[in-house]
Amino acid sequence: MLHSNNDAIRDQTRVLRRSFLRQSTVSVGAIALGTMLPGPSTAAAAEPPESSVPSTTGAIGCPHFVPKAKRVIHLYMAGGPSHLETFDYKPKLAELHGQPMPESLTKGQQLSQLLGQPLKCFAPQWPFKRCGESGQWINSRFPHLAALTDELCVVRSMQTEQINHDPAHTFFNTGNPFPGRPSIGAWLNYGLGNSARDLPDFVVLTSVGKGGQAQPIASRQWSAGFLPSRFQGVEFRSKGDQVLYLGSPPGINRKRQSQAIETIGQLDRLYQESHDNPETISRIAQYELAYRMQMSVPGLMDFSDEPRHTLDTYGTQGADGSFASNCLLARRMAERGVRFIQVYHRAWDHHGGIKKAMEITAKEVDQASAALIADLKSRGMLEDTLILFGGEFGRSPMSQGGSGRDHHILGYSYALCGGGIRGGASRGATDEFGYRAVDKITHIRDLHTTILYLMGIDHRRLSVKFQGLDVRLTGVEKAHVLKDILA
Amino acid sequence: MVSLRRRVCAHHASQGGTEFGPLLRATAVFCALTTTLAVAAEKVDFDRDVRPILANKCYSCHGPDAKARQAGLRLDSFTGATADLESGQGKAVVPGKLKSSVLWQRIVAKDEGERMPPIDSNRKLTAQEKTLLQRWIENGARYQQHWAYRPIRRPTPPRSDSNWIRNPIDQFIHRRLEEEQLSPAPFASARTLIRRLSFDLTGLPPSYQAAQAFVENPGPEAYERKVAGLLTSPHYGERMAVRWLDLVRYADTAGYHGDLPMSVSPFRDYVIQAFNNNMPFDQFTREHLAGDQLAAQEGVASMDALRMRIASGYNRLSMMSGTMVAPEVNLAKYSAERVRNLSLVWMGATVGCTECHDHKFDPYTTEDFYSLASFFADIKEKAVYNQPGTVVSTPHAIGDWGPTISVPTPSQAAALRDLDAQIDALKQKLADSGRKADQNDATSLEAQLKELVTKRDSISKRVTITNVTVAVSPREMRILPRGNCMDKSGKVVQPAIPRYFGSVATSGRATRLDLAEWLVSRNNPLTSRVAMNRLWQLFFGRGLSPSLDDFGRQGVVPSHPELLDWLAAEFMASGWDIKHMVRLIVTSATYRQSSVSNAQQRDRDPYNMLLSRQSRFRLDAEFIRDNALSVSNLLVRKIGGRSVYPYQPAGYYAHLNFPKRKYPTSQGPDLWRRSLYTHWQRQYLHPSLMAFDAPTREECAVERPRSNTPLASLVLLNDPIYIEAARVFAERILNKGPADVRGRVTYAYRHALGRNPRAQELPALLALEKQYLDQFLHDRDAAGALIAVGARPVLAGLDSAELATWTGLARVMFNLHEFIIRE
Repeated sequence: MLHSNNDAIRDQTRVLRRSFLRQSTVSVGAIALGTMLPGPSTAAAAEPPESSVPSTTGAIGCPHFVPKAKRVIHLYMAGGPSHLETFDYKPKLAELHGQPMPESLTKGQQLSQLLGQPLKCFAPQWPFKRCGESGQWINSRFPHLAALTDELCVVRSMQTEQINHDPAHTFFNTGNPFPGRPSIGAWLNYGLGNSARDLPDFVVLTSVGKGGQAQPIASRQWSAGFLPSRFQGVEFRSKGDQVLYLGSPPGINRKRQSQAIETIGQLDRLYQESHDNPETISRIAQYELAYRMQMSVPGLMDFSDEPRHTLDTYGTQGADGSFASNCLLARRMAERGVRFIQVYHRAWDHHGGIKKAMEITAKEVDQASAALIADLKSRGMLEDTLILFGGEFGRSPMSQGGSGRDHHILGYSYALCGGGIRGGASRGATDEFGYRAVDKITHIRDLHTTILYLMGIDHRRLSVKFQGLDVRLTGVEKAHVLKDILA
Repeated sequence: MVSLRRRVCAHHASQGGTEFGPLLRATAVFCALTTTLAVAAEKVDFDRDVRPILANKCYSCHGPDAKARQAGLRLDSFTGATADLESGQGKAVVPGKLKSSVLWQRIVAKDEGERMPPIDSNRKLTAQEKTLLQRWIENGARYQQHWAYRPIRRPTPPRSDSNWIRNPIDQFIHRRLEEEQLSPAPFASARTLIRRLSFDLTGLPPSYQAAQAFVENPGPEAYERKVAGLLTSPHYGERMAVRWLDLVRYADTAGYHGDLPMSVSPFRDYVIQAFNNNMPFDQFTREHLAGDQLAAQEGVASMDALRMRIASGYNRLSMMSGTMVAPEVNLAKYSAERVRNLSLVWMGATVGCTECHDHKFDPYTTEDFYSLASFFADIKEKAVYNQPGTVVSTPHAIGDWGPTISVPTPSQAAALRDLDAQIDALKQKLADSGRKADQNDATSLEAQLKELVTKRDSISKRVTITNVTVAVSPREMRILPRGNCMDKSGKVVQPAIPRYFGSVATSGRATRLDLAEWLVSRNNPLTSRVAMNRLWQLFFGRGLSPSLDDFGRQGVVPSHPELLDWLAAEFMASGWDIKHMVRLIVTSATYRQSSVSNAQQRDRDPYNMLLSRQSRFRLDAEFIRDNALSVSNLLVRKIGGRSVYPYQPAGYYAHLNFPKRKYPTSQGPDLWRRSLYTHWQRQYLHPSLMAFDAPTREECAVERPRSNTPLASLVLLNDPIYIEAARVFAERILNKGPADVRGRVTYAYRHALGRNPRAQELPALLALEKQYLDQFLHDRDAAGALIAVGARPVLAGLDSAELATWTGLARVMFNLHEFIIRE
């Protein structure tokens, strides 16, 4: 691996050009706009028409393994949801409520806002129930997810390395606390190539809640890092243009926009013919894709074709930027071939008043998350859609200010479901305080390894040279596929 | 040789159906290409041919990292490779004796369990790599010191009597082309050259008049005069600043968490002025790292001292955190980032790897990492800034980001001096009047004094501040075992340069100034090479070594190592004179070549490594917008000052918090400033800059990819700044251009693209004009809406349908590929 990024990009373009020249016997222009005009936007239904954008395969060529999942929906509970009020049942912690935490556990360990304060046990604030045939313990604030217990697999022994939100998100998304590395979605698309026809392959949706402060979230979290920026996540917004700059300027209607793009294409092709500049061709294709996005996104965001009962099941009225509507949007995107969909709910940083905050926030996500799983299942898509539910870290078994919990990195929970995951399975455990993962410790990189594995990628064989290193999502330490939770 | 080369191309083409996988494939092609050349030359060069194989395939287990080393074998030195193996099975390498070399036996082993590299390493040797290793062992297995660590000697440029040659650069390039039986491309047309030169030296297009004057009189002297003129343009500094600011991670916000604004724009002005004044690069380096120390030296003029203090802000541009955490966590983050930045910017080295372990390929140890960090241990800083509830807004920043100084503009400085003098005089009077005990007088004087003080305070509050370095007693620096900041068991270290390069001679604790002096000493093999490789990249689109960020053993050997060394030596000999080096590069024949390639060149040299032509590449993000502003005459050419806030989609900052904030869109001229003055929000960089690969500058960014995405197309099509620029350009076309449609298209092409439209281009443009005019005549509302985009008032007296039509045409021109590239 001796090449730098820029060369690689040039190389791609050159390759793209060759593929064009071979594939198209007619002038590329002749098929351009005719095929771009909006077709049926239910992508799953119709066979995509011949396009001037070649379908592409990714860096790894053939998958390393038979893929179990075709796409990932990551329900990202940003802010750090408490494992002690979601999936990790700790009756002993309730008994010890108010007692000091054993110093042997906490000495020399990182703290955030509890720094320099007495560390006392804080009982779980809501009861747990044994659910489903698998008998997993799920908190009573999540009745809808609890009803799907036997679809869920809960890992109760997660660990991460970063104790503050910003670096912890970066670590979760890129496997590295430093800014500048590609995020999971970018890696997947780099490795596997293009999947959606007229949408980006990596989409980000966000919502805020009412149960606490909305932690900031940096666009770095969906960055392509040092990979070309077409692999980056594209944020879809509920206000203004759904995608930045998606709307044509005032006075430019669909017709004028298509006339402009057609003229740009004609002139660029003339330039290409006289200058033999391969990048021009690739650029024409990008304009065509941009136009298709302009045409298809508004339909994607318009829920009027969804039956009433679907909206009710999710608990949304329309694309209003709520977590519930984002879950429905995620399903619509999944149907249209989007490979990696991250649905952030920025509402879980419960330093104080966690009892009330958990109730509110759980309510905001429980019904829609369950609806998404059930909806995918009824459409036969759950089996090849990997769903992740969890945050950048967990929360301390120690109380903060008598009513909340601090950030916590030594033990927390993640739920998985769908594509290739064994429903009803559990993995690992924390100690009796819920403080430290003690059984089958699961590092973020193990989760990454497993995601890649389910998508058909050997994590060791997806690497890019950057600053002298063959950089991988999973880093240099040993990482493992979580075999015990696979179907 | 020919057949090998064919194989390379066949390999390349066979992958043609896939767009991706380029990083892997490009590598294969590159390896194969260098191999082809090497095999052809029948001479195996350790640097070029062998080390890359050993480094890529072997060093991670048999290299410098003692902890990762397997079987006690190291292949990164002759001694290591030829020592008795621990297993007692002989020696890995027996020079000249292939069959007895265990390395070779293991490489060709039939048994998978025996074969090297191991099957689970995901590394494989190609047939060509094996051939090279075979030759190398047979020829005596000679090692060389890594090319980038060798002392820089000034090679003699190869002699040539070709009249193509303009300066020594060409002698190196020409010799290599001769060896490869390629000839240089003809010079680019005067029209192309003037455009290329203008974009390369100022980031702006030439005016049509200036270009025309040059085209009509394009002699060599005219070209050199043009170069000299552009080098004295104040826009030269702006152009050069852009990539430097990427390197030193200049941004207007603190980066972590709430990503709050801090005030550092005087640092950007400093960089622009330093390039414009052609500050020698060694001084530039010293001022960055140790401006505070320089400013404190005796006899430094106060203006110089101010400049040096501003420059010391380099140490304080890195990301800072405002969330509670144990102090050692953040302090470790800050200090590690400084080592990463320093080593990437000046050394082209990935010392950052050694935060947790010794380097696997290069001669850097964990102790080196923390010793380098020690140089910065005296910087006054907080682990956690602006804890919740303590955040105070000022006109310049939200919150307190550590030591700052005030940087008044000349007029502010004059006003403050004047007021100070008046205040002093009044105070004196007041003291005098007190002795006379005239109560009335005193009261009136006090009132006057109060007024002056208020006035003074109101001015000084508006003076821009900037983060600077203030030195305090250095904190203890320990080696952190495996990078764990909570582990206090590591050895305490003192400031020191990486041991491989010796030590800095100093009595007492070495300082940041000592570090800077080492970087710019004539014996430092890295700094000058790294800087010249990056300078080259600005003018050819790639470095002589494409690995701008890594001059270590994993980096790519330069295509013209002697040329790079010659440039590095010349740079130092010239007194680190950047303009001198730029002038040499852009006046070379190599630079002036056409970028149009022929089939032979594309076949023989697809990446243009041999420089048998110029390269053609997309402009940097900033210059794309600047180009549109310049062509429309909207550009406000003020140099320097605080960051500005051009149009940005509403709600783009919705995910920022603590506090929540709105984007304060600029008013008036600040909307049309050059793009490098755009407020650089690290977590949410302006989306139109981001779409064209401007980096967030959260960390050192050595390279900018040049990607091609639908999002970038949407920016050029729909970002209001491009619509406004198109409309203002349309006003100009209608006002200043001829009255007929063809004439107008010609006028527009000349100003937008610097040339006349070609006959075959006209029909598309004329057709669009007709369609648009027809539609806008029937839809005046649409016409009115389109031309109303932007804050610049619409020029009176133009027909709205006509203006909208030409806005639409100008918009098409701004979206042409040709508009955003430099040829």
